[in-house]
Amino acid sequence: MQKLYHTALCVCIVLIATGCSDNESKLHQARLVAFGTLVDISTWGVDDDVAEQAVAAVESTFNKIDHTWHAWHPSDLTQIDTQLAKGEQVELDADKIAFFKKAMRLADASGELFNPAIGKLIALWGFNQDDRPQGPPPDPAAITSLLALHPSMDDLIITDTTLKSSNPAVRFDFGGYAKGYAIDQAMAVLRARGIDNAIINAGGDLRAIGVHGDRPWRIGIRHPRNPGIIASVETSGDESVFTSGTYERFFEYDGVTYHHIIDPRDGYPAKHTLSVTIIYDDAATADTAATALVVAGPELWQKTAAQMGITQVMLIDDQLTVYMTPAMAKRIHFEIDPPPKVIIGDVS
Amino acid sequence: MTRADFLVAMLALGMLPLLYNRYWEEPVEGEDAEIMAGDDKKLKVSLNTNRRLNIEGPLGTSVLEVQDSRIRFVSSPCRGKQCIHSGWLQNTGDFAACLPNHISVTVRGNNRHYDAINF
Repeated sequence: MQKLYHTALCVCIVLIATGCSDNESKLHQARLVAFGTLVDISTWGVDDDVAEQAVAAVESTFNKIDHTWHAWHPSDLTQIDTQLAKGEQVELDADKIAFFKKAMRLADASGELFNPAIGKLIALWGFNQDDRPQGPPPDPAAITSLLALHPSMDDLIITDTTLKSSNPAVRFDFGGYAKGYAIDQAMAVLRARGIDNAIINAGGDLRAIGVHGDRPWRIGIRHPRNPGIIASVETSGDESVFTSGTYERFFEYDGVTYHHIIDPRDGYPAKHTLSVTIIYDDAATADTAATALVVAGPELWQKTAAQMGITQVMLIDDQLTVYMTPAMAKRIHFEIDPPPKVIIGDVS
Repeated sequence: MTRADFLVAMLALGMLPLLYNRYWEEPVEGEDAEIMAGDDKKLKVSLNTNRRLNIEGPLGTSVLEVQDSRIRFVSSPCRGKQCIHSGWLQNTGDFAACLPNHISVTVRGNNRHYDAINF
C-alpha cells in the first residue's frame, strides 16, 4: 500500500512537470522575412512538422501577394498602373477583381480618407521606396497640381473581368490595405490545413484565431511615443488587431518630422494623431480603417468609424490623450502608470 | 505517516518553488536579445554584458552593440540604414531589423506575457 502511495505521489509530481512542458512544446513559433517586413507565425497545439509546412505555405502566400501588389517593385500592379495610364482596359482574374472591389468599397466607406489611387502623391513624398526618404518635402505647387487632378477609386470602371480608369492621374499604392489582405489570405491557408489556434503578425499588425491553450492570445500594443507597451488586449475567436502610427515611417528635414500617412484632402502628412488601433474581424478592413482614422483624426474618427462599420477603436492624439469607443474600452488594459487621459465616445 | 512518506512529501514540497520558477515566474524585463540571421539562425545574447557583435548576412557584416542593458545596430551594409535609425532597443518587445541583410533583433524579457506585439 505504501509503495502504491509513493508511486502515485511521484507520478503526480512528474505529471505536473511534464504537463507544463507539454504546454510549452505545443507552441510553435516561426519568423520569416516577407512582404518587406518581418512576419511572425505562432501556432498552438499543432505538430511541429505540420506547423513548419504551414509556415512554408504562408511564406509562399506572402511572396505571391507581394509580387502581385507591390507598389514600386515591378509587379502585376505596376503593370496595371502602366496600362491604365495609357487609357487601356485591363483584363483581370477573379482574385484581382475581388481585391479591387473590396478596396473600392472601403475607400468609399471611409469617405476617401483611405485613397489608394494617390500613388503619385505618395511617390512625390518619397515613400514609394525601400529606403527612408531624405527630404526635402515636396514643392507645395507640385502637391497642389496633383491634388487638382483628383485621382480616386471612383475613377475606376470595373466589371467581373476588366478594369479601366477614366483618370490618367490614378496610380495605385495599396499601403494600408495590402498587408491586411495578405494576412487574411495567409490565415485562410492555415485554416485550410486544420490549424485553429494561431497568430500571424506581419510587421506589428496581426490576425489571431483560437486560443493559446487554456487562455486567450495576449497582445501588447506598443506606446506610440515612448519605448514599451501602452496597453494590452486579449483576442477572442477570430480577430484582427491593427495599429497605424505616424512613427512607423518618416523622415526629418530642417528639424521637422514628416510621416508616411498622407491626407488625400490636402496632400500633407495627417496631423494631430499619433496612432489608431482597430479590432475587427478581417485584417484588410482593420488595416484600411486604421489608416483612414489616422487621417480622420480626433475630429472625424467617430463619423468615419461609423461609416466603415467599425466599433472597436483606440485613437491616441499628439497630446497622448486616448479616445476610445465603449466597446474598445471594455477590452483595453493600460500597462502604464499613471494611465493616460481617456475620452470615451461611441461611433456616430 | 512513515519516514518514507515524510521524505516523499518533503521532496514534493521542495520541488514546488523549482517548478514555479521554471514555468510561472515572470522573467526580468529586457533580460536578453534574440538575434536572427536569415530564417533559421538564432542567437540569444545577454544584455548584461557590454560587447560588440559581428553578424553575417547576405550583404555582409552587420555590427550590433550591447551596452548598459541595451542593444542597437551600429553599422549595416544596407542602403536605407533604418536599422541604425531605430536606435537603442531596451524594452521587452523592442525590435529592429535590417531586412536587406536578413538580420533582426528582438529584446526578450517579460514579453512572454504577450504572445504578439502590435504597433
